[in-house]
Amino acid sequence: MTGSADIGVVGHGITGSRAALTLQTLGHSVRVASLRSATELFDCHTVILAHGAPQSALASTFVAQGISVVSTSDNLEDVLSLIDAQERAESRRAVVVAGVACSPGMSGLLVNHLRRAFESIDEVHTAVHGTAGPMCARQHHESLAGLSVGWHDGEWLQRPAGSGRELCWFPDPVGARDCYRFASPEPVLLQRIEPALERITSRISATRRDRLTARLPMLRPPHAEGLEGALRVEVRGVRNGRRHVEIVGIADRVGTIAGVVAAHTALAVARGGIVPGVHNLGQPSLPNADILDGAVDSGVTLHQFVGLEQ
Amino acid sequence: MKFIRQVLLAVSIAGMVAGVLRRRSKGVVAPQQGGWREVTPQR
Repeated sequence: MTGSADIGVVGHGITGSRAALTLQTLGHSVRVASLRSATELFDCHTVILAHGAPQSALASTFVAQGISVVSTSDNLEDVLSLIDAQERAESRRAVVVAGVACSPGMSGLLVNHLRRAFESIDEVHTAVHGTAGPMCARQHHESLAGLSVGWHDGEWLQRPAGSGRELCWFPDPVGARDCYRFASPEPVLLQRIEPALERITSRISATRRDRLTARLPMLRPPHAEGLEGALRVEVRGVRNGRRHVEIVGIADRVGTIAGVVAAHTALAVARGGIVPGVHNLGQPSLPNADILDGAVDSGVTLHQFVGLEQ
Repeated sequence: MKFIRQVLLAVSIAGMVAGVLRRRSKGVVAPQQGGWREVTPQR
């Protein structure tokens, strides 16, 4: 990093505040701007977009200025738009990292971390519980009403969001939650990490009321911040010639996980050395181990599921 | 009487199919019991 104000944050919400706090704790000066005054950050090297979706239009504006972007959007269409900006990012010598939050984001880091325990991996299944701020809660609400995408034996499958109930165990104190398919960019980004994967699914915890009211406007304003949150990443593959499963989870506020991951990703981008273009966490083009180590040093605790095979 | 025999036949066939499916599905081994332990990522 070359200056004290190389990193800017767009958005005063939970995720943006946590990212700024993480950077300040590490001794970096951060400028935070609202969405309306985002142009004040045109002199930054890297900006974290932490406002509600869509973020792709503002990301294009920053990229046009040659500014690298860390996007926390977990909106499927938004992330697909960001991925499409590959040529523009390359031509402007800017780095764009898409889907830098909890799921996607931390999930990609964990897949990258777990794959080293295998000879080869062929399945990744993720599940997330909880929301960050109000915009995240709205995204959670809308994601249960659309179409989910999943990678199945080399084909993209579209299934109704809110279907495919599965009981997923998260680290304590969250425990077991019913999780469902949802409109998430997670499978798309995980497939970019490991194109040889055969099956990728992502689910989110939801209640009956969540699913029943998903196609309606939100019945009441969302909470300022979701309380407990959790992430679970299950990787299947081959180790020592046999089928093997590894499961890693995190129990923390989703806004904290997303903010910490965004902050350490922005630091990695600002340090330089990343090839211009669009990336996502977990891809070998990023210093994933450094980012994960930074997140753990900032207080995120990883848990491994130790199971008995039956 | 014929109805009862048909019901018993249907239940028997369903039981056999379920048994076959259960036996075949034992190929995939996934953790069913256990717990979470804290880990530190190692390079």
